Amino acid sequence: MKVRGLMYDPFNNAFIIILRDDQEKEVLPIWIGKPEAGAISFALEGVFTPRPMTHDLIKNILESSNAKVISVVITDLKDNTYFAKIHVFYGDSEYTIDSRPSDAIALALRVDAPIFATEAVIQKHSTEELDRWLDNLRPEDFGKYDA
Amino acid sequence: MDIKLSVQSVLTDPKTETQVVLLRADGNKEVMPIWVGVAEGSAIKFALEGILPTRPMTHDLLKNVLDHLGLRVQKVIITEIKNNTYYALVYVESRGSLLSIDARPSDAIALALRTHVPIYAADEVFKQRGGESLDSWLEKLGPKDSGEHTV
Repeated sequence: MKVRGLMYDPFNNAFIIILRDDQEKEVLPIWIGKPEAGAISFALEGVFTPRPMTHDLIKNILESSNAKVISVVITDLKDNTYFAKIHVFYGDSEYTIDSRPSDAIALALRVDAPIFATEAVIQKHSTEELDRWLDNLRPEDFGKYDA
Repeated sequence: MDIKLSVQSVLTDPKTETQVVLLRADGNKEVMPIWVGVAEGSAIKFALEGILPTRPMTHDLLKNVLDHLGLRVQKVIITEIKNNTYYALVYVESRGSLLSIDARPSDAIALALRTHVPIYAADEVFKQRGGESLDSWLEKLGPKDSGEHTV
């Protein structure tokens, strides 16, 4: 997946990060917090900060230890919350670390690691989206189909 | 000589959302204030109050990364102040070697509280601490604003 955009959602006072697959077939919007949105936009725009921000610190610690982020994967969606895993290679083993997608993406952009989403997440996303759409329908929306 | 510090509290100015972390030297009544960002301030507050969020916040992730890889934080030191900016180092033990990694004090403190390692300030830095600027900042806050925290 590639980061295709970062938007402000004024209704929830939150930010939405838009991920798209390489074929531009699937879109995954993920709601994230303000500091994480800042961390992602700095990386997207190549903004240099005079002091290391928190995700830069994570990157610097990994690099100083010769540990390498292999990939980050958005693995699950439960009750509107996305889950991600960060895969790190260190020594001669691979480690998998639980993360919020926002932190995983902020880190991936800094270390040029690929971002993936599992098929299951993309399918679940479409289903939850449909559920939400159905939930928001009011009886009068059905009016015009009355016999 | 480094001075051992403990985090006393995090104060918030509700109008500007500015956050100040108050550090106290062991066996000393003087506090050293450090201005931090909103996200870092709440990361420190969460650790102080023992709040466990349902999902790992950024500093929890930082700790989890270190734990998973078997990297051990030994200590953090606030090393200097230049142009009103404090600098810190995080000391990490990585397979037998000790790394010192540049960090903002806010990140260093948020990490130290999560990994239960000591926080130090270089003697020189502690001497130059901005007690006066804290006083004027506190004066601007009404009594209501600072009510829930004790200085």
